[in-house]
Amino acid sequence: MTDTLVRPSASPTMLDADDRAALVDSVRRLLADRCAEADVRRIMDSESGHDPALWQALGELGVIGLVAPEAAGGAGLGPIELGLVMEEAGAVLLPAPLISAAIAATLAPDLPGLVDGSRIAAVAFVGCHDWTGRSDVRLDGDRLTGTARFVPDAAIADVIIVASDEGVFAVEHSDVAVTPLPVFDRTRRMADVSFRGPATRIGGTSRIKAARDLGIVALAGEQAGGARRMLEITVAYATDRHQFGRAIGSFQAIKHMAADLLLESESATSAARDAARQLAEATPTADAAIALAAFACADAFVRVAKDGIQMHGGIAFTWEHPAHLYLRRARSGAQLFGDSNLWRENYITALEAQA
Amino acid sequence: MSMTDEQLQAEIEAWLAANWKGVPAHTESFGRDPRSEWLAKVRDAGWAVPRWSAEWQGRGLSNDQAKIVERAFAKVGAPGAGQDRSNLWANTALAHATESFKRTIVPQLLAGEVGMCLLYSEPGAGSDLAAVRTRADKVDGGWRVTGQKVWTSGARVADYGMLIARTDWDVPKHRGISFFFLPMKQEGVEVRPLRQITDEAHFNEVFIDNAFIPEENLLGPLNGGWGVLQTALAYERSVMGDAARGPRSGAGGPKGDDALLGLAREAGRLGDPVVRQDVAQVIAWRVLNKLNTARAKAELAQGTSSPIMSLGKLAMSRILHEEARVRTMLLGPESLLEGPDHPRAEDANFLTLNAYFTSIGGGTDQIQRNIIGERVLGLPKEPEVDRTIPFREVRAG
Repeated sequence: MTDTLVRPSASPTMLDADDRAALVDSVRRLLADRCAEADVRRIMDSESGHDPALWQALGELGVIGLVAPEAAGGAGLGPIELGLVMEEAGAVLLPAPLISAAIAATLAPDLPGLVDGSRIAAVAFVGCHDWTGRSDVRLDGDRLTGTARFVPDAAIADVIIVASDEGVFAVEHSDVAVTPLPVFDRTRRMADVSFRGPATRIGGTSRIKAARDLGIVALAGEQAGGARRMLEITVAYATDRHQFGRAIGSFQAIKHMAADLLLESESATSAARDAARQLAEATPTADAAIALAAFACADAFVRVAKDGIQMHGGIAFTWEHPAHLYLRRARSGAQLFGDSNLWRENYITALEAQA
Repeated sequence: MSMTDEQLQAEIEAWLAANWKGVPAHTESFGRDPRSEWLAKVRDAGWAVPRWSAEWQGRGLSNDQAKIVERAFAKVGAPGAGQDRSNLWANTALAHATESFKRTIVPQLLAGEVGMCLLYSEPGAGSDLAAVRTRADKVDGGWRVTGQKVWTSGARVADYGMLIARTDWDVPKHRGISFFFLPMKQEGVEVRPLRQITDEAHFNEVFIDNAFIPEENLLGPLNGGWGVLQTALAYERSVMGDAARGPRSGAGGPKGDDALLGLAREAGRLGDPVVRQDVAQVIAWRVLNKLNTARAKAELAQGTSSPIMSLGKLAMSRILHEEARVRTMLLGPESLLEGPDHPRAEDANFLTLNAYFTSIGGGTDQIQRNIIGERVLGLPKEPEVDRTIPFREVRAG
């Protein structure tokens, strides 16, 4: 595969603008080819919700190991590039465990097989980073007990990485009980994971917050990309669809909603990219920027998806129209890592700390 | 006789060192400028409009070299440079005025020697500016004007008003408008302050009764005023930028993007989780607006057009209205009061009312949503029933 992101000179740093554009373009082309709406629906309707062939293609392009260190075989890129790739993924509702892969690359860079995608990791945040508030995983000697709730991608994972207050642990899939959940967004599968045996400690707690922050940056990119695409779909429909002898988009009732949604989706893009930049540069205000992106992007995507359906009218109330897939994805992202109220609270706390 | 950047830099710095001794403060964009002695000096030295040709008091500099001039002036805090980008009046006159008129007026405008005002809106032509009914009728040597204008800043001290008036009533509305410099200091032009909901009077009503405009004060072609107006409005938008004001009490208090945080702390409400949510959200909107603007500027600098620039006004309207709401919530019953003994209440109440300056002024948010929908998102225009019929037959009122 010649079209790869791994470049000999890339240090764990940022690409220049041209290389970044080339990266985004290569991802966009792969997704256009392999992740059309029909593909999303096929994967969504499958039992696992996972397409190994698509996953392999993402691995060959270097996307799975995008933020993994070069020493581990990754592309060695950072939050900025991850965010831009996730904007593309979000636009097409890519059903693949990329966010988990990015978090795993930070928490467990040395675990074999993760960078090329030959093995899949899921990540359970428990303890102080448990965004579900429902997990009860505890370390008992060298054994983990209890259940981590709503763990994304756990059912297809070969290894579960547990980010706990006692450190980071890796547990093989065969050593846990995984209960897939009947999720509303079938493009982002989740499962409960019950621990009942020995766990391998692979690191301390020092990387957990950075990994979580990277996950938020990835999710924010996904949400910004999803919001922009949903608005594009809606505007295109409002231009084509005629009632009363006019395109419905010529009615101010529709046009004004579209203008408001543009403000939402562009603000989401700005927030996602600023959070990525601040995380990459480790600025003193990065915590606030990440918190801002967490709720601004989640809220924007939900609003654009919801109002977008309303603007379509009846056609978007049908299963065969993709609009509901965007709303489902928007709603699952709006819980992942904690909801918007939590992140608004975290935001004002970060602002107080800055003052 | 082009010079290097270094030579240019040295020349400006030497000139500023020899001439710059400070000027009185001046913040209004309207009226005669108290700094005109200095501005005339800047003009005569060619620094006022460095991109323009020497024939028009410029130096024919490239954009990059002109920026060197602007930076040198900014560095010492001297005003007057770079008016080739910022002076709405001079730019409009240079682009559209008759030869004889602009020989007189452009130098005066560059030195702030004449005061100016805008005579666009009318009681019956706000959002729909092309519906102006102020009439200009041809007479010997010029025009006679009758009508009423509104929302005019600086009219009391203006020497000229940039006026749009109807010169042909038998063609569709956009095609019968002409653009003039109306001499304000004459019988037949009466200016009355307009008391706003904030109890201030920044604006005026201008009553025009058979006032005279000389022939040479027509800008652009007769009945081509709509086109002139578009270029003038474009300048105005770039010059005025975000005119939103903060609180007026001057009583100090927290400032900046996160001023609400300080106000909430001061009010002892930072422990209230509901207050924290609202404060965080309003601050977030402010920060998002800045991030959007920064992105737009970066995209424009790369030469790609940015859809984001048009969003700032909508964003700011929401910020101001919501900030006023949250300030009021922080105050509770104290928001019932006003006056200098109650500066926080004064601020909250003023912001509540003055937020409309942004959400109505310069075109309502509703018109802005039309513009975004049509020009940015490409949605089809609303059918306009009055676009093709003679203005005389358009229903009004």
